[in-house]
Amino acid sequence: MHRYLRFPFMLASFLVAVACHAATEQTLTTEDDLGPQVQQPIEFPHYRHAGNRNPVDPTNSDPTKGGMEINCQYCHTYARRSLTAGIPPLQKCVGCHQNIPTVRDKPRIVELFKYWDAKKAIPWKKVHDLPDFVRFNHERHIKRFIEQQGRPVQEVCGYCHGQVKEMVTARRQKPITMGWCVSCHMKEHVVVAKGAIPEGGTPIGKQDYWYTFQKPAETRNAEGELTAKGPNDCWLCHK
Amino acid sequence: MIDSESTKNLSGQAFDRRDFLKVLGFGGTAVALSGCGNTSIEDGKETVVSYVEAKDYVIPGVAVYFNSTCAQCDAGCSITGKIREGRVLKLEGNPESSINRGKLCGLGQASVQHHYNPDRVREPLLRNGDKGQAISWEKAYELINEKLQGAKGEEVAFITGDVSGHQKVLLTNYIDSLGSKNHFVYEAVAPAVVRAGNLKSYGVEMPRYRIDKAKVVLSFGADFLGTWISPVHFAQQYAAFRKGVDGQRGVLIQAESKMTLTGANADRWLAVRPGTEGILALGIINALGIATGDVAELVKDYDRARVSRDTGVEPSNIDKIAAILRLRSPSLILAGSAAEGYVHGMQNADAINLLNHVLGNVGKTIEAPVSVPFPQLTQTKGNTASLKKLNDDLAAGKYKVLFNIATNPVYTAPASYKYGDSMAKAGFKVAFAHYLDETALQADLVLPLDSEMEDWGTHVPEYLADTAQINIQQPLMERLHANTRGMGDILLTLVKQRKPEEYKAFDDYYGYLRYAMLQNKAALGGSGDDDVFWNDTLSKGIVKLSGASGALSAKAAVEGLKLPQPEEADKQYPLRLIPSVTSNLRDGRHTNQPWIQESPDPLTTIVWDSWVEVHPKKALELGIVEGDIVKVTSKTGSVNVQVYVFPGIHPEAVSIPMGRGHEAMGRYAKGYGVNPFGIMDAVFEGSTGELAMHETRVNIAKTGQRVIVVKDEGPAGGKQMGRRVALSRSTDQVDLSKEV
Amino acid sequence: MSVTNLLNNWAAVRHFHPIDDKPHDPYKWAMAIDLDACIGCNACAVACYAENNLPVVGREKFQHGQAMHWMRIERYWNEDSREFPDQGAEFLPMMCQQCEAAPCETVCPVGATNHTQDGLNSQIYNRCIGSRYCSANCPYKVRYFNWYDYPTTDNVWPAEMNYQLNPDVTVRGKGVMEKCTFCVQRLRAAEVTAKGEGRIVREGEVQTACQQSCPTNAISFGNLVDPESRVYKQWKAQQVDLAKDEQEKDKREGGTDLRGYRIFEDLRPYPSVMYLERVRESAV
Repeated sequence: MHRYLRFPFMLASFLVAVACHAATEQTLTTEDDLGPQVQQPIEFPHYRHAGNRNPVDPTNSDPTKGGMEINCQYCHTYARRSLTAGIPPLQKCVGCHQNIPTVRDKPRIVELFKYWDAKKAIPWKKVHDLPDFVRFNHERHIKRFIEQQGRPVQEVCGYCHGQVKEMVTARRQKPITMGWCVSCHMKEHVVVAKGAIPEGGTPIGKQDYWYTFQKPAETRNAEGELTAKGPNDCWLCHK
Repeated sequence: MIDSESTKNLSGQAFDRRDFLKVLGFGGTAVALSGCGNTSIEDGKETVVSYVEAKDYVIPGVAVYFNSTCAQCDAGCSITGKIREGRVLKLEGNPESSINRGKLCGLGQASVQHHYNPDRVREPLLRNGDKGQAISWEKAYELINEKLQGAKGEEVAFITGDVSGHQKVLLTNYIDSLGSKNHFVYEAVAPAVVRAGNLKSYGVEMPRYRIDKAKVVLSFGADFLGTWISPVHFAQQYAAFRKGVDGQRGVLIQAESKMTLTGANADRWLAVRPGTEGILALGIINALGIATGDVAELVKDYDRARVSRDTGVEPSNIDKIAAILRLRSPSLILAGSAAEGYVHGMQNADAINLLNHVLGNVGKTIEAPVSVPFPQLTQTKGNTASLKKLNDDLAAGKYKVLFNIATNPVYTAPASYKYGDSMAKAGFKVAFAHYLDETALQADLVLPLDSEMEDWGTHVPEYLADTAQINIQQPLMERLHANTRGMGDILLTLVKQRKPEEYKAFDDYYGYLRYAMLQNKAALGGSGDDDVFWNDTLSKGIVKLSGASGALSAKAAVEGLKLPQPEEADKQYPLRLIPSVTSNLRDGRHTNQPWIQESPDPLTTIVWDSWVEVHPKKALELGIVEGDIVKVTSKTGSVNVQVYVFPGIHPEAVSIPMGRGHEAMGRYAKGYGVNPFGIMDAVFEGSTGELAMHETRVNIAKTGQRVIVVKDEGPAGGKQMGRRVALSRSTDQVDLSKEV
Repeated sequence: MSVTNLLNNWAAVRHFHPIDDKPHDPYKWAMAIDLDACIGCNACAVACYAENNLPVVGREKFQHGQAMHWMRIERYWNEDSREFPDQGAEFLPMMCQQCEAAPCETVCPVGATNHTQDGLNSQIYNRCIGSRYCSANCPYKVRYFNWYDYPTTDNVWPAEMNYQLNPDVTVRGKGVMEKCTFCVQRLRAAEVTAKGEGRIVREGEVQTACQQSCPTNAISFGNLVDPESRVYKQWKAQQVDLAKDEQEKDKREGGTDLRGYRIFEDLRPYPSVMYLERVRESAV
């Protein structure tokens, strides 16, 4: 493109983008947006590990085989300690499965032990892939919702990862786009469990300052608990 | 930090033993590109690589830190490496070290680029005509053994840089086992004359300098902030010195012919006629008027008028310096390159050191050194005289086998040595090398070395600060290239060829090192369980010892001190060449690290190239301006180089920095700039035989070409928007007492 | 800060000066650089290359003024026509001053550079369209533009050299502007940790890469809101007020014996970096 045309072009595309943005803003919800089914080296059955134990539970995808209700964090142990959730080491799988002789000859487990005997890492494919300039912080979200507010682990992980406990290999269920992230951050959330700010803690209530450019008024929900919007600082994720 | 299991297993062959040092795939914690356009989310395309087994403290996305030792120069700073997913990302100083106290210079920071350098040698190479042919290590060792069978002990020579610690022990044992006595310790830039001068003046080679205790520092060309001995340590002392003893800000006076980084920070910088520093020192003693006895006798002829005429320093400045030295005590006088560079270098050093005696600084700001109680581990003291000797021997055809261990004399020897030709006379030349540098290219066998971030070792720096310490070097990550080896491992294999019985217990250098350290556990201040002690040592990275202190001699050495009169300018070669040592490039061994190349020279702000500094007055006289390509000619040779008009140089001198002008080594070094060693005359210091680097005389002539100097300095003469932004004021306008 | 928000509140954004409403709670990151301690050694600049994935552009591009050094050491001579610079040189580390009312922010057509609550001037690479208005409007000239796609340029990060890249910092592609971030990746990590523990970041808990490497401790960095921080104490002792475009001490008759100053203060960018003047001994 001719260099002098470049700027008007950019400006035009920008305006179009703004217009589209304004039009779609109201539709940002947590609606499901199913991602592609990803072929994994081993077809890891999440529902067997994390699914509900009760076979008559209607949410259980396979009523003949109940899940083990294993806490997500038992295997995904890095998520609460790091920005990245990471993938559990192979050691973790083998740690249990070497003591479960009943399924030892099942094809998936045979495959698993092949990797283990070769001391080779399993080349899992990434299911929830963010652009490289985004740094989502797992640790912070787990701290806030699970540790501070005491919400159930599967519910909290499910906000973004969907109903993994009903899946075989994981599949993306939510859009995981910036607008989708922000749609949650713009909601009023209870600040901490039971409405109390810890002694000497950060005044979390002020974190929505940049939504309006005005000093936020203290907001409380119907139960009288202090609420606030999530942080809205670009530099939290993009840096 | 390290548990015993992981370290114990390190001597094994399989790499998965140390999973956490293993490079994890980029997936998961991506190092990739941003930018507009790259916003697509490609679920299921990228592979995330996980650990097979992981230690509890290894968390993807969270850094692990390991302590080690920086090997970029001999100062021995302790470092802490930041390791993520098995890759070392960044180095910081280790706060526990009394040498660098948590700080690290730019050169040290850049050593990750040495480790990851794309131009490292990766396979043992055997000469095959003009090419190097990759061979196996077994074959390389066999070949060395075979060649040594045909050589007597005295026909084998070793040239190394400074070595210390257990590598030195192995090296010494290997040389002994061959029956050779020919170990040449060569450092192109080394304070050898200063050591000799100190020994004469203070009774020790390397006392501890206490800049932080001094109220006035008068330095004769000692670039202690940039390159001299232990610059990071001295920079910290300098910071304390500026904050002041008893609230009085320290005063720095620097006398030299070419402004160094230290000179640029002086309260008063004196441009001294090259080689007359000793005269200035004696002139100051004379002006002080407090000397007695034979010292008074010695300086009585050095009155202000004469000293001023000889050195070019104004009489009023000599008076001011004498006055402030009289008034503020203790002070500290330092002898640096000004002493080293001349035929009468020792005389200069003696005269300068004499000032310390006259002012009573010995014992106050010059303290007795501490030493590590294991003399076999202490650092060898490299110099340039050794290269002269080796070169003469080689030229006489005395050696059949030459081991060149991580030095590059083909590049750093003055051209008149014709070192390359001399080296060719040795029958079989083995080079231990990181890069295919000028010397490695002339070798018959090149052995690729591990980087300091892959290798084990111990180091004992020559200059120890508060306490004696042994620095530990340990791998910060898995070996990057499968076929490089640590220097210790190579030496161990070689020494096993000679003395298989003595060393059969050690599978590798790590095993040897661990054994050697544990043998001395009590002396190293350890007790209890071996594993606990060893792991503790590794996690600290430093073994601190209550080392013995030497004693200083209080008597001034005036005997035989006689300074020559400054010579008249040579008609054909009217200018002195000062090959300057810059803080980043040093002797040129780090030139292939791009951060170093792109880091502007602090004084000229020039990057990626060499230059010749010419004083504005001289430039005017010769009709040259910045960017003119001039031919700098000495008796030995000539180079064409761009001019930088620089006010911080004596008009009778020109200066070219060392470290550039490589003809080999790698993509970032080759072909940038010129090498001043190529035009250096072979003139030697009178009593030590060191190369007198400042004695080369040159002339400069325009070539008619002109280039744009690539530099960081703006065109506005240091102003932004027409305004000065860096402000300064004098001590009488400021109240420092209120500061935090 | 969504685009809609920007457009709706443009007047407020344009004239907005955060200090008026005391938003810096609990953090305002600021710096103080003692020019008397700075020796011009370049350690900070190299540390910045290592921490922030700065590309080495090479000789030719450097000549074209395309160097990417977020932190540069400027060297000045005292120009008084003496034969020699007998008071040495003056060194000034220059990087983004994280202005409170940053001139770059108001000219960005897409809101890619804006102010964060903790007083930083953020640069969002994925939003940047490369108009370079910000750089043109920056009085300090500390913004650097990616004229090339450095990750795919020869010899910038050839094989293995890319292993050194910091995974916490985005590697910038062609066409985006970049600048010193006060090592925001370190700040955010510390802030998030502190938040999880229900406290604020303590003094000394977080260091910028330049500060950490500086052999003479010339750079101090910290939370200007925290009265315990060294930066707070230094700014206070030097009587430099973040919110003023001319300091009271400079209006005093006979001047001041304090050496703290900010560069181009009178242009009213309200920079967050205070420099301490270099001192020279008057007795010699």
